[in-house]
Amino acid sequence: MEKLVEAEELRTNFYTFEGVVKALNGVSLVVNNGETYGLVGESGCGKSVSVRSMMRIVQAPGKIEEGKVVLFFNEKDRNKGIDILKRSEAYMQSIRGNDISMIFQEAGTALNPVLSIGFQVGESFLLHRRGEMIKLAVKTLDKKIDENSNSLFRMWRKFHKRLLQNETDDLERYKTEIVKIDSDLYRTEGKTDSKSLEKHKRLLVNRERLNKQGLKVRLQLKTPIIRRYVRRINAAVREKVIELLTDLGVPNPGNIVDRYPHELSGGMQQRIVISIALACNPTLLIADEPTSNLDVTIQAQILDLIRQLKKTQISSVLFITHDLGVVAEICDRVTVMYAGDTCETASVKDLFKEPMHPYTKGLLKSVPKGEIGEKLQTIPGTVPNLITPPSGCRFHPRCPDVMEICKSQKPEMLMMKDGHSVACHLYRKK
Amino acid sequence: MILVLVGVSLIVFAIMMLIPEGQRVAIYVTGEKIRNEQIDSLIVKYGLRDPAPVQYFRWIKNIFKGDFGHSITASAPVIEGFKMYFPVTLELVLYSTPLIILVGIWLGTIGAVHKDKPIDHFTRIFAIVGYSLPTFWLGLMLMMFFYGLLGIFPPGTISIVGKDILYNPEYHQYTRILTIDAILNGNWRMFWDAIYHLTLPTINLVLLSSALIMRLMRSSMIDALGQDYIRTAMAKGADKKTIYNTHARRNALIPVITISGLMFAGLMGGMVITETIFARKGIGLWMARAATQLDVAAIMFNVLFLGVVFVVINLIVDLIYAWVDPRIRLT
Ligand code: SF4
Ligand SMILES: [Mg+2]
Repeated sequence: MEKLVEAEELRTNFYTFEGVVKALNGVSLVVNNGETYGLVGESGCGKSVSVRSMMRIVQAPGKIEEGKVVLFFNEKDRNKGIDILKRSEAYMQSIRGNDISMIFQEAGTALNPVLSIGFQVGESFLLHRRGEMIKLAVKTLDKKIDENSNSLFRMWRKFHKRLLQNETDDLERYKTEIVKIDSDLYRTEGKTDSKSLEKHKRLLVNRERLNKQGLKVRLQLKTPIIRRYVRRINAAVREKVIELLTDLGVPNPGNIVDRYPHELSGGMQQRIVISIALACNPTLLIADEPTSNLDVTIQAQILDLIRQLKKTQISSVLFITHDLGVVAEICDRVTVMYAGDTCETASVKDLFKEPMHPYTKGLLKSVPKGEIGEKLQTIPGTVPNLITPPSGCRFHPRCPDVMEICKSQKPEMLMMKDGHSVACHLYRKK
Repeated sequence: MILVLVGVSLIVFAIMMLIPEGQRVAIYVTGEKIRNEQIDSLIVKYGLRDPAPVQYFRWIKNIFKGDFGHSITASAPVIEGFKMYFPVTLELVLYSTPLIILVGIWLGTIGAVHKDKPIDHFTRIFAIVGYSLPTFWLGLMLMMFFYGLLGIFPPGTISIVGKDILYNPEYHQYTRILTIDAILNGNWRMFWDAIYHLTLPTINLVLLSSALIMRLMRSSMIDALGQDYIRTAMAKGADKKTIYNTHARRNALIPVITISGLMFAGLMGGMVITETIFARKGIGLWMARAATQLDVAAIMFNVLFLGVVFVVINLIVDLIYAWVDPRIRLT
């Protein structure tokens, strides 16, 4: 199987008033091309922080301290990949929402209360597909120019067409410059001689400074009256949004686009969040507990939707959940996390059949099997405080199989058999 | 809203009733000196010993007729005094309010965006200083430094040359607001003269009042930037500028709008002192003088007027509020 994204030894801290929260303690995971990958663990174990670190959207006071996040998106960089933690913020912006998208646990708070649905969904198009949107606008404009014989209108429309053309030219120029810098960056990346390092640094600065818009376009976007041509782009975006919402099964999309988040139900809000993420056909969709706060029936609908999208549109899904039932239902492979550590990675079948890590075992025992009067087992103890995490294996205060070494040494990830690895001293070769 | 105004009028009236009749006569008598022996007959003439409700309704009736009595300090009917003083105040408000709001929002945003960086500390120091300095002290300092030491930005509303132009029959006073009249007359000299005199009082008010807005804007912007929807915008690939300007600022403005209504109350208080210090003949100065000379008619009128202003400001704030926050828009 081909790797799509690989996170290596991610360490993320939060610098809070109470102290430094060591949220990620060297998290490593691999999402392969074409799979639905699950990330499970109790709440607060660092699942969300892991994926946010992978997208570099950790909000203050959080900070990614070290590690790598390597993308293998393009054919040509299959072998080396791109370490996005080393790339510029501008590069990340071009990837987020375009190649990697994310949907969130609480759709209600994930949507901006003061912006209309149409704007929030359409923004994805404007950020990553502006060229296409302009083309659509020009198309409608062309039709209107043909129809209308009134010369004044005709002039006005021709003028707008000219302005749209300016933007297109500008985007083209930008695109060529970007491609050039990015390929230069790719060449210098990973090289350690001082000359390449110097060049790499300079390229990163250039990439950041590179202006999306030339002076002419910025002027035409800012000048009153002249900037009215932007409405034509917005109209095209609106059409696209309605199209997208229809595809995702949102009823009455023409009406929904003008509404605000608080006017929609929870399930509908989640659909909107999904449509924001899917607008630009991402390669990887990261779903951060998208169904946890929904009613069971809505939950099933959303899961169905994601499963269906996985078939038709997106190649890989990284699915975060604390619900092992959901994992069994939709994931191919899964990683179990505990207190900022990755415990065990396996295919879903292996994990349920022969769990290896003591925490995984405990977790599986605490899942109801549907027998009447059955007594659920719990893992004794509580989730540790991550400001002062336990030494060695972070699970050791609660582990039934704890050994002396566990208290001092962090267990390494051991490959047990094909595709099944575990981080536990129990499986160390003596 | 009407209820608020009725309440204000009742309070104003109650305060007025505490003043002995002998002095209240002054409200009704115009111009000439009153001799002691006349007072009794005047009290009877204007019905100042009638039961309170009768007097209240008579007072209200007069108000609707536009008769607010006679102001000693303005030596004219109150309404004439108002016409004279109000444009001066309005002019200052016109220039300082937008500046207060813009400077406050701008500095607050900068502080929030660069949280805990040097520039943030700098703006916060600015806010604390502006917030805690007494209006009169800052005003006097400004005046001492600029006018006293450097000899620029004199007090008053206009220079002697300006006054000459003002009373020139060819110069029309359309609004009595100096700068606007100057523009309407196409008289740039007059315009710059007025601006020259407006500078210090405006700076004084802006320094004092924008601090409050700035502090609030900073904290609500920081709050907004930590919200989930900002994460959504980041995950979409939006750049920093879009996130600050489109996604965060509008949400951050909601509490600021509420407070700016209150800020206006502080501004009015600051106005009395600012106008007194900078010798601008506006409502603030008028009120200060009326209070020291027991010009009952002027005080009553101005309190009533401020009540109306507050009601209107609150209405405007509510409208802006509904425009910014779709959650409270009526459907
Ligand atoms: S490393 Fe030790 S403490 Fe940790 S899970 Fe394995 S046995 Fe338990
Ligand atoms: Mg979470």
